[in-house]
Amino acid sequence: MFRRILIANRGEIALRILRACRTLGVEAVVTYSEADRDSLPVQLADEAICIGPADARRSYLSAPAVISAALVTGCDAVHPGYGFLSEDETFAEVVRAHDLTFIGPPPEVLDRFASKEGTRRLLGAFGLPTIPGSDGMLRDDEHALAEADRIGYPVLIKPSAGGGGKGMRMVRTSRELESAIKICRSEAKSAFGDDSLYLEKWLDDNRHVEVQVAVDRYGAGIHLGERDCSVQRRHQKILEESPTPALSDGARATLAETAVRAVVAAGYENIGTLEFLVDSDGNAFFIEINCRIQVEHPVTEMLTGIDLVGLQIAIAAGEPLGLRQSDIAFNGHAIEFRINAEDPAHDFRPGAGVIERYHAPGGPGIRMDSHVYPGYEVPPYYDSLLGKLIVWAPDREAAIARGRAALEELLVDGVTTNIEIHRALLENDAFLEGRMTTNLLDRVGGAAFLAAAAAR
Amino acid sequence: MPDTGPRGDRTADASFREADHAGIARLTEELLPALIAKLGTTHLGELEVREGDWHVRLRRPFGTAPGEGRRASDKASRSQPGHEGHGHGRAAPEGHRAARGSGGASGVTAGTGAASASTNGTGADEPPVGRSRAVATSPAVGIFQPGSRAASGTRVRAGDSLGTVNVLGVPQDVLAPVDGIVGSTLVEAGMAVEYGQDLIRIELATPTEARS
Repeated sequence: MFRRILIANRGEIALRILRACRTLGVEAVVTYSEADRDSLPVQLADEAICIGPADARRSYLSAPAVISAALVTGCDAVHPGYGFLSEDETFAEVVRAHDLTFIGPPPEVLDRFASKEGTRRLLGAFGLPTIPGSDGMLRDDEHALAEADRIGYPVLIKPSAGGGGKGMRMVRTSRELESAIKICRSEAKSAFGDDSLYLEKWLDDNRHVEVQVAVDRYGAGIHLGERDCSVQRRHQKILEESPTPALSDGARATLAETAVRAVVAAGYENIGTLEFLVDSDGNAFFIEINCRIQVEHPVTEMLTGIDLVGLQIAIAAGEPLGLRQSDIAFNGHAIEFRINAEDPAHDFRPGAGVIERYHAPGGPGIRMDSHVYPGYEVPPYYDSLLGKLIVWAPDREAAIARGRAALEELLVDGVTTNIEIHRALLENDAFLEGRMTTNLLDRVGGAAFLAAAAAR
Repeated sequence: MPDTGPRGDRTADASFREADHAGIARLTEELLPALIAKLGTTHLGELEVREGDWHVRLRRPFGTAPGEGRRASDKASRSQPGHEGHGHGRAAPEGHRAARGSGGASGVTAGTGAASASTNGTGADEPPVGRSRAVATSPAVGIFQPGSRAASGTRVRAGDSLGTVNVLGVPQDVLAPVDGIVGSTLVEAGMAVEYGQDLIRIELATPTEARS
């Protein structure tokens, strides 16, 4: 096991990793930018080190700053969290070159799974049903049009690098494709420094289901069930739950088993998430793999009782998994609500400011992962996630009831949040009946969705 | 898809910026001198005034010379788990920011929300009123190595290199923030430093020089 871990991230995930370190008895050093000097992980860490100014490119995204911080504080491993440098194979390579361990897949594994389009073909060859898509990257407009014709409209234009909805557009005609592709290229270029795009078949009324896997260095792998992330806004997840109401118990088990078999065969290592689109007939198509801890990992932790961050660290330290599939039991139902500093009434405009009052709900089956405290100033430079409220209960109906009560109790004053959207979701028929698709919110827009809930 | 990531700095619109600048000007020209005078007549350690979107907090420097910010000892104390971590943790980092933001005799923080960033930015470019001392800070995380111009008593110009911070083998210059005379070096050669850490004091020839 490691002696001292550098946490190269901020916000709730820095705190989550810090907690895992404490449980493992490993010292934790937290990096921070000047804008995060007063943050909770900085205050609670064994040591904190300022790595740069507010601009993430010169702090959290700066590989030299992060690695230099790890070296001068005597760390032997770096935990990248999610976002920032978490899936950057070059960063992982440089970390290793400095005799440090990157907590995640080794660089060559990250490299093998770096291209989304390449990964789809790789895992397809190992038996995963994959979404129909373009043959390789789009060379030019002519190639794009030909491939879209072959796949059949509607199609989704996707950047090979990055994600978070940037550089992504769904188009229904060749004319839309021609104009959207230029926008996607420039968005992808500015967001990820890479403008390579590919096409995927777009499924109307699709659902988003993902499988959590864990594979050790010695090729032993298990799955930890699936999560339903269909509630999204512009390809950004806002509510996740498990088990998914989209699939039968048998179909869920088959999907998870197929997923773990394919990634083990393809040489994956450490924890990872395979994302699938599920059509209205219940057919699942693999779209991409996330080689890191995810925001929504607590949903799985609530059902299995397994500390996923702790497991991730142990695997990176070279420890054997020590778990067989039969050791994993799935209990009850969990829902996670992402609490963001954004205004649903104004196109989800992100907000910043001082948290004047804050109260996290409690009680049986309630978990709040948040770095917020009264008096904390939410900086305007980073993502708007304030925390995650996770509820667990023996079944979905009871979990929804606990969700309602917990959202009622949750108090965040000082910045506008999306709490109202979650309350509205728990009154929405499509959600309550488990029929929600990824266009649930985008079809009507946030403001209209709130108004509809208020009118009930 | 990444669940989170950096978002670009927000650029405030022109009118907001103008109002912001007017607010800062009023703060520095009217409010601050009055507050500093007021604090001087009391035995209070701290004084805070709120007005509209702004709040100003003045804090008497405790035990440290004016103009000094973080020191190596701060980090050492934070390294004690549970010592400053929970109860008093908040006071320590805030103290740093207060001292660093102004570098002046009073230790002033001002601003709310997004506005605080622009206030700090202004503070870095122009030495605040009443300042007689400045500090060259670390440009990066790494190992500090003072240069020949870091010798006490050396007359330097703003922008002169006083030493380097070595980041993974790449030296980055520690620059003099103002014209002046090199004072004491706060960190020993070969020590690890963090971004923004105070490294070398610069004494200004006269207080008026600071205003120019």
